[in-house]
Amino acid sequence: MSYSYLFKYIIIGDTGVGKSCLLLQFTDKRFQPVHDLTIGVEFGARMISIDGKQIKLQIWDTAGQESFRSITRSYYRGAAGALLVYDITRRDTFNHLTTWLEDARQHSNSNMVIMLIGNKSDLEARRDVKKEEGEAFAREHGLIFMETSAKTAANVEEAFINTAKEIYQKIQDGVFDINNEANGIKIGPQHSPSNPSMPSGGGDAGRSGGCC
Amino acid sequence: MDYFRKYLGAQPEGEQPSGADTVDRLVDRASSSTLLDDRRDAVRALKALSRKFRLEVGTQAMETLLHILEVDRTDSEITGYALDALCNVMSNEPLDDEEEIPTPGNDELGAQFTEIFIKKSDNVGLLLSLLEEYDFHVRWPTVKLLTTLLTNKCKDLQECILVHPMGVSKLMDLLSDSREIIRNDALLLLNQLTRGNANIQKIVAFENAFERLLDIIHEEGSVDGGIVVEDCLLLLLNLLKHNTSNQNFFREGSHIKYLMPFFELDQDPQRSQAGWSAQKVTNIHLMLQLVRSLVSPSNPQQLTTNCQKTMYTCGLVQTLCNILMASGVPADVLTETINTVAEVIRGNLQNQEYFASVMAPSNPPRPAIVVLLMSMVNEKQPFALRCAVLYCFQSFLYKNEVGQSQIVQTLLPTSADVNTISAGQLLCGGLFSGDSLSNWFAAVALLNAISDNSTQKEQLLRVQLATSLGNPPVSLLQQCCNILAQGGRVQTRLGILMLLATWMADCTTAVAHFLFNTANVPYMISQVSSSQDGDENEQNVQGLCAFLLGICLLCNDEQNETFSTASLRQIIEKRIGLETFTDKLTQVTKTESYTQAIKKPHVDYKQPTEVVFDYEFVRMFKNLEHDILRALSPNNNREESKKQLANIKEHESIVSQYKDLIQEQDDRLRHTQAQLDSVQQDNDRRKKQLEDYTQQIQQLKDQNALLKATKGSKTNENDKDDELKNLNDRLQSLMLQISEKDSHIEKLKTDLTVSEARVSTQDMSEEDKENNPSETAVLQQTVNRLNTDLHELRAVLANKDADIFKLKADCDNLQSQLQQVQSTNETTNSSNNGEVQKLTEEKNSLQDRMKRGNEEKLNLMDKINKFEEEITKKNGEQDKLKEELETLRKEQEDLLVLLADQDTKIDKYKTKLKELGQEVEDDDDDDDYDDDIDDES
Repeated sequence: MSYSYLFKYIIIGDTGVGKSCLLLQFTDKRFQPVHDLTIGVEFGARMISIDGKQIKLQIWDTAGQESFRSITRSYYRGAAGALLVYDITRRDTFNHLTTWLEDARQHSNSNMVIMLIGNKSDLEARRDVKKEEGEAFAREHGLIFMETSAKTAANVEEAFINTAKEIYQKIQDGVFDINNEANGIKIGPQHSPSNPSMPSGGGDAGRSGGCC
Repeated sequence: MDYFRKYLGAQPEGEQPSGADTVDRLVDRASSSTLLDDRRDAVRALKALSRKFRLEVGTQAMETLLHILEVDRTDSEITGYALDALCNVMSNEPLDDEEEIPTPGNDELGAQFTEIFIKKSDNVGLLLSLLEEYDFHVRWPTVKLLTTLLTNKCKDLQECILVHPMGVSKLMDLLSDSREIIRNDALLLLNQLTRGNANIQKIVAFENAFERLLDIIHEEGSVDGGIVVEDCLLLLLNLLKHNTSNQNFFREGSHIKYLMPFFELDQDPQRSQAGWSAQKVTNIHLMLQLVRSLVSPSNPQQLTTNCQKTMYTCGLVQTLCNILMASGVPADVLTETINTVAEVIRGNLQNQEYFASVMAPSNPPRPAIVVLLMSMVNEKQPFALRCAVLYCFQSFLYKNEVGQSQIVQTLLPTSADVNTISAGQLLCGGLFSGDSLSNWFAAVALLNAISDNSTQKEQLLRVQLATSLGNPPVSLLQQCCNILAQGGRVQTRLGILMLLATWMADCTTAVAHFLFNTANVPYMISQVSSSQDGDENEQNVQGLCAFLLGICLLCNDEQNETFSTASLRQIIEKRIGLETFTDKLTQVTKTESYTQAIKKPHVDYKQPTEVVFDYEFVRMFKNLEHDILRALSPNNNREESKKQLANIKEHESIVSQYKDLIQEQDDRLRHTQAQLDSVQQDNDRRKKQLEDYTQQIQQLKDQNALLKATKGSKTNENDKDDELKNLNDRLQSLMLQISEKDSHIEKLKTDLTVSEARVSTQDMSEEDKENNPSETAVLQQTVNRLNTDLHELRAVLANKDADIFKLKADCDNLQSQLQQVQSTNETTNSSNNGEVQKLTEEKNSLQDRMKRGNEEKLNLMDKINKFEEEITKKNGEQDKLKEELETLRKEQEDLLVLLADQDTKIDKYKTKLKELGQEVEDDDDDDDYDDDIDDES
């Protein structure tokens, strides 16, 4: 399927905050109450549309466990967006945000858009971190903020799409260098009329000019 | 430089200092020399020695070389030499120019040195940081060294690089180096790096490896490209094989369609005759493997299905099928293409249908399936190709009922066209040909056409074969049994047994067919009970015969009296023995060929003798084996079964009783239903009557009322009414009067009680008043007085209140003043604090000074002590001096005494002289004079 842009995302945050569930809800529109521990990194993808433009999101869901941290770090550099997730029912996951943010800022490109997500908003009765606290943290560190529920799907779409909108805006503003693929952004086939890199094959009209 | 020439030049002569000595000196020089040039020369020499004296350089120089890398990294030349030297030390690869036979254990040397190298994980970090250096002399040897290290200790190095931040990403960046040699070596490095480590594979893929590699492949000429294309393909395979996440990413990234150009072969006949280069064959093999890695049956079903769909939509399936029918394709490429097509179509109806529609460009055109089957049953074709065709045919039939029926259809008598060769004809031909391998292939192909498909199993029973002229036609099933009975080679028998077993499983008709010929079961029994221990395959034949008997037991329709379930069980028990039967059956699952076959559907035999079991059959065997054993187990034995049978009969009688009962009840039910209906009708009728009656009553009532009204209008009735009214009125007024009176009485009663109460109180007060009338007056007065007093006091109190109020106000004022004062105090306090601080500072400084003073004082004390000592010393001297002085004084006194004596003598003499008249100079005039003055005063 053709697209105008391709954005690479990563999802980071403590173990058990619901990163994989957020991804599953976004890509498959379903919720799995019992999810295996993510080993290393898992991949998911979906197409969205912003301003009538098709945008492909490639999302790498990372393992939250400390032992996988060095692997996770390898993914910061090539990502255009990051969803930093904590669990509103577990304060420690909120307390660790600073560490995550430092890690992300240190290894990522400076333009990476970070969306702070307080997940499990359906568990209001067990809430341990106030929404205002999340908002304050986001304001302080220049992040976008949202509370979501991977279970009820509340705000999940919005979280991914708003991040994409922010990246898209940055592209419009000329902040991102879209020719550098290391930024986690790629222009779709219809935007690059002459891509010398790709094979033209046997001259099949349906495929000519195609890219990735 | 002379220094080195001396050693290096002297080397061949062999009488100079040993390598170890030389290395030692060079190490010393490289580590201690202050001049960069000297160090550089030393390292260069070390590099030169590092091949011949690998052990020495490795053991003695490694630390120094690493130190050089850290310290002298600004100088690319020395860094390059150091890296080269390390690389030579680590590398196990034999050198072209090396004459000497490598000493044993040389292969482990590299691993050992690598182990030493990575013990300090910083070393790997150092190498990774050196990659940032663009200089060719640094970057290239770094890449080579890393590759060597990875080759020696893959897992450890992978972990080191993974832990290092952005380590993998840095290595990936090398792919975009504009210098081809570095890019190509980076490919080798990445190939080593990604070996068997899913995490690294994912990171590399994340860093856009798929695109870059596909780009490079295209730039390098795709299929016709050289070794670089091969390296790229190997790396792609590394990234995709068994890595679901990456496979998903590859598909999601729409990379599949870029695989297609690989397979668009040049259809120019002249070029195809030129033949394929070995490199091209290798490349296309890898490309086909790449496709297979995406649709492998061992991948998750969903992923394979998705990839198959994408391959169809982008035309890859079609392109691959074109290769099948193309000419001039080398046999091994064709074989691998068939295998690839097999996996691309396996279980995907759309792709299977496309495959079935492919026509070979022959004259007349034939379906590709037929052409392929012709190869399969042709013993002149290469074995691998025939296996591939079978795999492709199996994949075509897998989960494809339409395809299965198409194939079976060509066997049925109705398909009339004799002139064209059909799949069915080929399969039958193969089944009964003289080539045992063809028999096996055809049997397995056929079993796949009816596997899990009961309709086709029954259809196949209709197949009749014309044997020879004059003889009646024989059914296919019976013909199979006949072939079995004739003996023949093991593969033939195995194939046919598998076909029969699949055919008869879950198909009672087929079992009945089989049992109908009374010769079949005895043959099977004789096979199983045969005690002769042949090779493994003979045992497999016995096992399959047991399996077939088991199926007869399981899927028996009980129509055949001789071979009913019970009688078969009896026969097995008597003729074979349960234990033997079980042994023979389970023996099959223990064989190597069984475990091989059940692993994966791919027919991956190296040579014809390995051909034993089929994947589909083995799966069925696994499912049914247990059922058969259970059906035969002692619990299920005759008595048991008889009991069960009895039970069943009992049950049946009970059931029939119940049935009767139910019928009876049904009848009764019907009866009562009818009764109910009539009763309901009755009921309805009655209800209607009832309604009629009530209506009549109403009417009558109305009439009655009417009549009454007409009666009331008559006169004499009127008078009575008036009287009645009057009487009523009177009665009412009387009643009113009574109630009035009642209330009156009530009032009086209350009055009475009140007055009684009053009387009693009056009594009391009157008594008091009568006792002291004057006192009351007095009291009244006092009361009055007290009242006035009270007033006065109140006034006073008011005044006091006012006073208090004023005082309070004053107090407030004072308080506020106080607060002000306090605040000012506070400010002063703070200033005071400042002062205090100053003072404390001063105090501190004073204390310091005091300390210093103390110290000085101590010094002074010391000095004083010293002085005191001196003083005591001096005192001693003084004492001496005093003594001397004393003695001197004494002497002086003595002298004075003497002098005085002499004076007196002199005076005496003077006087004597004066007396004598001699004028004498008087020394003592003054004295005299003095005396005179004294006297005067």
